[in-house]
Amino acid sequence: MTVAFYIMAAIAVLGAVMAIALRNVVHAVFSVLLFFSALAGLFILLLAEFIAVVQVLVYIGSVGILMLFAIMLTTKVTGDPTRKLLSRGWAWGGLVSGALLLAFLVPLITQSKSESNSQLSNFNPSVKDLGLTLMDPYFASVGVIALLLTAGLIAAVVAASSASGE
Amino acid sequence: MSLIAKGILQGMAVTAKNFIQSYYKKERLPTVEYPEEKSTVNQFTRNIPFLVYDGEDEIEGMRCTACKLCEKACPPQCIYIIKDTDENDKPIKRPKVFDIDSSVCMSCQLCVEVCPFESIRMDSEFELSNENRFEGLLINRDELLKSNEYYHEIHPIEAQETDDRIAAKIAEAETKKKAREEKARLAAEAKQAAAAMKAAEEAAAETETSATEQAQQSEAKAEAPEDNPETKNT
Amino acid sequence: MNNFIDYKLIELGQWTVGLFNDYPVVQILVHLLLATLPLTLVFMGAFGFSTWLERKGLARIQNRLGPNRVGIFGLLQPLADGIKMLLKEDIVPDRSDKLFHFLAPVMLMVPAFIAVGFLPLGDGLMALPMDSAILFFFAVGSLNTIAVFMAGWSSRNKYSLLGGMRAVAQMISYEIPLVLSAVAVIMFSGSLNAQEIVASQQIQSWLASGNLVKEFFGQILGWHIFKPWGFAGFIFFFVAALAEANRSPFDLPEADSEIIAGHLTEYSGFKYAIFFMAEYISAFAIAGIATTLFLGGWSGPVIAGLPWFIIKMFSLFAVMIWIRGTLPRLRVDQLMGYAWKFLLPLAILNIFVAGFYYFAEQQFGSLAAFIGGWVIGFGILQTAAKGLSRLNKSPTLDGKRVYQLVE
Repeated sequence: MTVAFYIMAAIAVLGAVMAIALRNVVHAVFSVLLFFSALAGLFILLLAEFIAVVQVLVYIGSVGILMLFAIMLTTKVTGDPTRKLLSRGWAWGGLVSGALLLAFLVPLITQSKSESNSQLSNFNPSVKDLGLTLMDPYFASVGVIALLLTAGLIAAVVAASSASGE
Repeated sequence: MSLIAKGILQGMAVTAKNFIQSYYKKERLPTVEYPEEKSTVNQFTRNIPFLVYDGEDEIEGMRCTACKLCEKACPPQCIYIIKDTDENDKPIKRPKVFDIDSSVCMSCQLCVEVCPFESIRMDSEFELSNENRFEGLLINRDELLKSNEYYHEIHPIEAQETDDRIAAKIAEAETKKKAREEKARLAAEAKQAAAAMKAAEEAAAETETSATEQAQQSEAKAEAPEDNPETKNT
Repeated sequence: MNNFIDYKLIELGQWTVGLFNDYPVVQILVHLLLATLPLTLVFMGAFGFSTWLERKGLARIQNRLGPNRVGIFGLLQPLADGIKMLLKEDIVPDRSDKLFHFLAPVMLMVPAFIAVGFLPLGDGLMALPMDSAILFFFAVGSLNTIAVFMAGWSSRNKYSLLGGMRAVAQMISYEIPLVLSAVAVIMFSGSLNAQEIVASQQIQSWLASGNLVKEFFGQILGWHIFKPWGFAGFIFFFVAALAEANRSPFDLPEADSEIIAGHLTEYSGFKYAIFFMAEYISAFAIAGIATTLFLGGWSGPVIAGLPWFIIKMFSLFAVMIWIRGTLPRLRVDQLMGYAWKFLLPLAILNIFVAGFYYFAEQQFGSLAAFIGGWVIGFGILQTAAKGLSRLNKSPTLDGKRVYQLVE
């Protein structure tokens, strides 16, 4: 379990770093996809099947494809090799962002340690529970999100048709 | 289109019919597996020319007289003929060399059209491939010669027509010959009669009636062979 | 009792795993191998057999004989093809993206085999027994798109890129009706678990009754395809599945008369073979999931379990071949229009019909729901389909066809 976690984590970090460092945009997108899939694997290790599925279905299957489509429309796929990827004060930026990350993460980690493992042992996540949770206490928010998305979809259709029609 | 597309189902039915009937109906599976089966040749197949001979002996029965009409008629000029000679270097009516280049022949059948002796005919042989692309594809006289029975075998109707035509020609030639002979004979007899007349005149009309009888008899004889039915039927 | 083949197979697996009780690490490996290796081998064999089946079937439809030279009835033809493919030169275009050109076939094959792992081959026979197997199947299926795009983009060939773009557009469009028609089943069964979906298609009270006749029909009559929404859903699902698997009449990405071979243009040798294998295995996988969702999965009379699943899956594949032998390829705009303007609204409507059917069954009993569903529910779907096709009718097709270049 731990070995699998480290492998997955390494792949995820590798994918994320490559996504920034690679000059070829398509390669960068594919490394983002690699990062996403490693993340899906991590979710499976956490027994969060449904989140893993959504990760694959939405992020790899849809967002990734969307990015690829957008890149397909750009003319220059490979970047200019003479330009530098890093700016001068990159060390400071790295320091600040690392500090912020730790500031957010440390309390969470300590919190999870403090909780007893007995609660985890009889914790059996299933899709049914997730669905019931979404549909019962959080029904209003889910409904609002669904309505918003539908409105956005219809707006997109209207915008597209009025642009081409006339 | 409704939920169950009728047109698509009709199309599927057609293909299903083809699929199922191909297992038991011959016309739904017309494939002939060639090297094992050879049923593609019928009597109207014409591919490459060959030479017909009559009787048993190839050389004796050869119809070809090396007249070279086919050589001249051939559009791609794939026929090559040399006339044969006897011991005294005198040309005889028979080819010594008769080559057809099968790689050049375009199966146009003009040689057959032009041949006055019904000698060159089209073969239905189609497996002409050869390991040697030069000499192997050049068909020489001895390979070209095939018997009249073979011709009857591959193209029965056409061969029968040809035979009838040849027989009619022979018969015609025979009747002409006979007519000519008869004419000659009549002329000779008339000469004889004239001579006899002269002799009779010289003999001074002592036996006048006998000479006229003889002339009448000879006339009756000359008419007789033309009524004979045998000459027409040969 | 009658799915003894599955139990015997599971027993065999457990016995094999039990042999390695003393070596836990080896045991895990053996367990993994037992889950994956037979599946891989069986489906690769099925791939070979199905290429033969397809060539033979198409040949018979077209009044030909088909392959008949290698082995009896040409049965060894796939083997000969495989050897030929292995021996061929592997050509990589000079200016292609070498790494992605190499990765694309692998990327296509991995999701195909993972998808096969989510199929409930028999009672308890599942390589990846996950709680949300159906959803996972669709998620993995969407990865095909990326691999096809990879192949199209990395070849640096206009036909490849066109094929890749077509494939991406087609797969994204048809995934929606595919999933939506499956949603009806998931909603009715109340589970994403493949085994539970199969169980929901068996009439459990009849199976437990001990009556032989009832046991026989209890394995058949519960299939979702016999319900009005199931029948309609099966049609939508199958059409969308044909498009997802790039099979004729939706084989636009590989339309050889238009764009040579689409994303396969620059592939040769074994990579090409891998592409083909991945495509066939995805076709199998999608036929298998259609079997699970609508045709009762492994349930069936007398020999329930693996045999029935294989029979159903191969029958669906045979129908795919049959359709390939019948229907001509669609045009690109027809393809997109069909997915968005016809299949999608009907699939959404079908979900509602399924919902009403579910409540009708609880309210009025299953027989009344069955009859009423076929009369009312199917009638609604039929009318909707007719109306949609009338709405979508292209104006040029009204009345006489107009040919621009004639006269």
